[in-house]
Amino acid sequence: MNQNWPVADLDPLRRLRVMAAAIPGTDLAELTIDAPPEAVWQVVSNLRVEMPRLVRDFRTVTVTPGSGDRLVMHARGYLGQRARFDVVIRPGWCWMQSRFLLCGMAAVPDPSGTRFGFLGGIRAPGVTLLHPLLHLIGPAAVRLDRLETDVQQHLRQQ
Amino acid sequence: MSLIDAAEHAATAGLPDLVRAAQAGDSMAMAELLDVVAPYVGRLCGPIALDDGADAAQEALITIFTQIRQLRDPAALFGWVRVIAIREAVRVARKARRATPADLQDVPARGDPQLAADVRDVLGRLAPHHRAILVLRDLEGLDEQTVSDMLAVSTGTAKSRLHRARRRFKEEWER
Repeated sequence: MNQNWPVADLDPLRRLRVMAAAIPGTDLAELTIDAPPEAVWQVVSNLRVEMPRLVRDFRTVTVTPGSGDRLVMHARGYLGQRARFDVVIRPGWCWMQSRFLLCGMAAVPDPSGTRFGFLGGIRAPGVTLLHPLLHLIGPAAVRLDRLETDVQQHLRQQ
Repeated sequence: MSLIDAAEHAATAGLPDLVRAAQAGDSMAMAELLDVVAPYVGRLCGPIALDDGADAAQEALITIFTQIRQLRDPAALFGWVRVIAIREAVRVARKARRATPADLQDVPARGDPQLAADVRDVLGRLAPHHRAILVLRDLEGLDEQTVSDMLAVSTGTAKSRLHRARRRFKEEWER
């Protein structure tokens, strides 16, 4: 009978909240998007296109496939700054880590469409003044309003 | 994941290295460790916190990952996680005012096609501390001494609490 006991499911957005609460120097922003989670994820999982759209100071992004759900992302800023991110990405969940920066995204179904979360952060406390990329990430540096626009455009093109 | 499964996992899947990396601040390791631990926490919190199980699991995991550096022996991960998860599940369930058992007339009749739903309904008639001891003894298979240590009660109290919880579960199940 044990297999019939209720199980609590921790969806990707709840996981992102856990990461935000547990890692100092991170901020989490959430918004609801009037579109199915699959459509939202098709847009945001195209990191090469969407990350420069969302993160204010990412000029270009290149992505190198890895094994399984892992890949490597190289981001370049407008002043020539560079960051190499290790990435884990699967439907509804993405986690990225560079030497100094963190970024996470999650999308789950919501009665109004999709609840989307974006986490940005700094890995090492106290290094804010030392690294040129540290001000480039986090909700304040992210244009999440663009995501709704991009998703609606994506839906119109389908 | 039972206690034995957890022990086997720790022994075979490089879990100690993953824990140490998470303790050192590697967020990739934290995310991977979250994948490993979250299902186990969900199985512990679900039967105790019921409709608030996801909230309890989230709170438990926040505590676990906030305090991960305090875990001295990575091989003891699942035992440490279990203590935190049970505590958070009982706390959340009590906060949700589910400590008072519902009207017994509301217990649904037993039916095999609804077995999982019936288990959930019957658990909902029990107090959170009764659900917790059923999870620890009957789902996790822990001995009386371990359970009494985890719940900070005497072995006599744990034994009588388990007796009452099982009797209560049986009564509700057979209604």
